Amino acid sequence: MFKNILVPTDGSAPSRKAIKRAVQLAREQRARVIGFYVGPPWQLPVYSEYVPPEVMSPKDHAAAVKKTAARYLGAVKKAAAASGVRCKCAYVLGAHPYDEIIKAARRYRCDVIVISSHGRRGISRLLLGSETTKVLAHSTVPVLVCR
Amino acid sequence: MFRNILVPTDGSPLSHRAIKRAIQLAKEQKGRVTGYYVGPTWKPKGGDDDSIAYRMISPQQHADIVKRAADRILNAVKKASEKAGVPCNTAYSMGDYPYLKIVEAAKRNGCDLILMATHGRRGISRLLLGSETTKVLAHSTVPVMVCR
Repeated sequence: MFKNILVPTDGSAPSRKAIKRAVQLAREQRARVIGFYVGPPWQLPVYSEYVPPEVMSPKDHAAAVKKTAARYLGAVKKAAAASGVRCKCAYVLGAHPYDEIIKAARRYRCDVIVISSHGRRGISRLLLGSETTKVLAHSTVPVLVCR
Repeated sequence: MFRNILVPTDGSPLSHRAIKRAIQLAKEQKGRVTGYYVGPTWKPKGGDDDSIAYRMISPQQHADIVKRAADRILNAVKKASEKAGVPCNTAYSMGDYPYLKIVEAAKRNGCDLILMATHGRRGISRLLLGSETTKVLAHSTVPVMVCR
């Protein structure tokens, strides 16, 4: 039923659970797992007219995101390899993670998105995480929500 | 991974699509499906739900009407399962809060996945994600797969 399983991750503990499930499903379906991370876009921190001196250049920011992505997506690669599941990983910078996730599902021809109910910002405030909610609202493929 | 898939259905066309997916997944997983329907509760003074006319009827009459609706709606699950050779059982209940009944049913029937549509009978026009689906997602203790 599923050939390409998209698993967005933000490095959080709930994400790691989703990765486990995605890999398990991929193994049973002989599918490929596609790990995906959306890093924050570079923003010049301006406080009224004051720009703090320790500002990161766009290049340094991109390098930092690349390092973070390698770490988060490394977890997907490791889990996939341990189960003998084919895996591909990608990351982008974007202000709207849900939008990038939907685009990635299309780009990589994913037929299901496996995502955790909450991410980094945690359970306390919302019954269902804000990005997960938006992915659910806009996805054209089934979304498996894990807790 | 999914040995027993709970498929809540309200008889709507979107529910039918979810049923098809659930059966296909159950077949691949060599598991079973559990079809589930939640009917409205009897209300003496009437209410917003107009799927079943229940004004001026006794609780017993209401229960009979709900049973008939449940049989009709769950029969769709049974037939599709039989055709695919997937074991199936069905259940229904009455409740004011379908999402609560659905989450309980998943626990009670030992289901490891709830597979449901984004919207039900009340349709797509008003909400990006149906109200009951949203609440099931928020309260379920097992994974929920949402299909359009």
